[in-house]
Amino acid sequence: MFSPLILVQILWTSLATTSCFVLFALAFALVLKVNRVFNFAQAAIMTVAFYAAFTAVARGGAPGWAGLLAALAGAAFMAVALQVLGFRALQRRRASSMFVFIFTLIVSELISYVAMLLFGTWPATIFPSLFWPVTMVGGIAVSQWDMLALGATAVALIATFAFLHLSRIGQAMTAVADNPDLAAFYGIDRNRAQLAAMVLAGLINGLAMFLYGTRAQVQPTSAIELLLFAIAATIIGGIGNLGGAVVTAVVLGLVQNASVLFIPSEWQGFLLYFFLFLAIVLFPRGVHLPVRKRPFRTVAAAARRPEEPAGG
Amino acid sequence: MTDVAAIERAAGLTRRAVLGGLGAIGAGAGAGALHAEPAPLRFGLAMPMTGGQATYGQDQVKAAQWGIEAVNAAGGVNGRMIEAVILDTQADARTGIEAVNRLISVEKVPVFVTAWSEVVKAVAPIANDSRVVELSVGANSPEIARLGDYVYTTFPLAEVDITAVARYSATTLGRKRAAVLFINNETGITAAQVYRNAFTRAGAQIVAYEAYDPKATDWTGQILKVRLASPDIIHIQGLVADTPQLIAQLRQLGMTQTISSYSAIYNPRLIQQLGQAANGVIATSLAPGASDSPAVKAYVERWKKEVGREPNGLPYTQYLYDVPFLITTVFRSLDDHGRPITGESFREQMVAIGTFQLPLTGKLAINPDHTVNKSVYLMQVQNGAWTQLAMVG
Repeated sequence: MFSPLILVQILWTSLATTSCFVLFALAFALVLKVNRVFNFAQAAIMTVAFYAAFTAVARGGAPGWAGLLAALAGAAFMAVALQVLGFRALQRRRASSMFVFIFTLIVSELISYVAMLLFGTWPATIFPSLFWPVTMVGGIAVSQWDMLALGATAVALIATFAFLHLSRIGQAMTAVADNPDLAAFYGIDRNRAQLAAMVLAGLINGLAMFLYGTRAQVQPTSAIELLLFAIAATIIGGIGNLGGAVVTAVVLGLVQNASVLFIPSEWQGFLLYFFLFLAIVLFPRGVHLPVRKRPFRTVAAAARRPEEPAGG
Repeated sequence: MTDVAAIERAAGLTRRAVLGGLGAIGAGAGAGALHAEPAPLRFGLAMPMTGGQATYGQDQVKAAQWGIEAVNAAGGVNGRMIEAVILDTQADARTGIEAVNRLISVEKVPVFVTAWSEVVKAVAPIANDSRVVELSVGANSPEIARLGDYVYTTFPLAEVDITAVARYSATTLGRKRAAVLFINNETGITAAQVYRNAFTRAGAQIVAYEAYDPKATDWTGQILKVRLASPDIIHIQGLVADTPQLIAQLRQLGMTQTISSYSAIYNPRLIQQLGQAANGVIATSLAPGASDSPAVKAYVERWKKEVGREPNGLPYTQYLYDVPFLITTVFRSLDDHGRPITGESFREQMVAIGTFQLPLTGKLAINPDHTVNKSVYLMQVQNGAWTQLAMVG
């Protein structure tokens, strides 16, 4: 019934449209891993990023690249503000993780309402047109947006993983994620590592929201709904497993889109929650392949410069 | 039939006076306090002022307020002003119930106006139990006509415009194979069924019938399934937030068929968002446009002058502008007959009057089966502008 062309088209378009969600999931998983915060306030960062780009391009008449810079700057600013004024203060007061979680929920709603007051509730896009030119490649419709989104996501993923593995601060983030107390013992500044994680996640969100807002309409409440997908991917992919969150986001996107070829389309929305339910009940620690354990000492040692005195 | 032309004429004159001297109102407010003015006659207005549907809700409330201004400028109800108690529903059933409970129990209104099918249905039992009239203005679920004795609509239900576009497509346009894409919620499911029934009754065939999740941002699967069915027309029953994007993706995936939808997408923004891809898209409108009525033209000009743009969902706002005129007509009739204004008396008198001539939407006949009859305007994007394709009914 379904030709290979149909399946390839679904694969291609789903990969492209899922790319933003992959980045949302990566950002969420990163903060959860390093800062140990179930950060619902990511929706606030996403909202600020979108409306920063919207203000620059749609209202200010700036070119697209300026909109991207505005989204990155807005998201990074919001991430720093959250970490410094919110999470760090709550950490100092020894707030429970539940309290921190509630705080993130409140921030996401607060920013949503502020956006509503400032920009109204009419669905908005960064560019006036939603339509991107399409080229047929071997019978497959490939839009310019697909290429842009996939290219940008690939670059962002490579850059993020390279940063985490190769840079000193990235390795410090990994060390803090593995064992914050031991990392502190080895002289790694936990606050700095967590701030860096928030900024990195903010930049990823900024890019993802810019891409999303150039193709779809966004309302002040949209980010909260978009975040649910990222949370599902993080949980199913295994909490603390960045690669798992990324792969799960891709698979979920593909399965959701392709599912309508095999099941009634009314069930499409149900699938995400069904997988989430199964993952929580059957795989509470996430669905992931066994990985080789790295000794903490190696990570922590790499995070310190050789010239630094041991133990800070 | 009740003629409100006199009100409109008087309103026009007074409105000019009001526009010319807003400061005088403030000055007069203090002086007015010295006189014992009769308390205003109140009705409820439960609309989405916040949330995802507030785009429409806020403009509709503004239109209703302009209607109230016009009625009051013309003398109100035998000298008594009318006033709306406005509460937010967020287009959400639970919030709507809270709002309507307050309107009935605390504000003691005899009639209230609300919209959005989910809210209209959720609050219907409260209206029926309290014997307070619920006027649905804008929701189009066919079930609204069967929600009880105290629930009425001034807006044509889905059968009217969706049946019209389905019949027109099958007969006049000669389309024989339709695909239906609909949002998987109350609004989409019911209206899609109406389209399917009307299209098949006209002797044509539904070749694909696909729902999509309200949170969906990618419709590749559904679109490719539709493509396999080779339809010659695609009908979309979605919302303003998703339909433009869905149309864009249909075109990007090579679907060149005529696309039809309903009044939700009849908006200048659709053309801006889709450019050439919007050409040929058909939508419905349940009220005359600016080119059909001088009153509507003046109304649209007022929006542009005072708000700087056209209203979102122009036809819906026309109905909201008109509803204070309908309520005033019933209030005045009760007053003329020396009857107290209650929910029960309002209902009896409204049904007895039956037909109303309203300034922006024209003649409205409320049928005994709680439906209304109106003409449907089929609009099509041609050369980058909405153009009237036909008037049906």
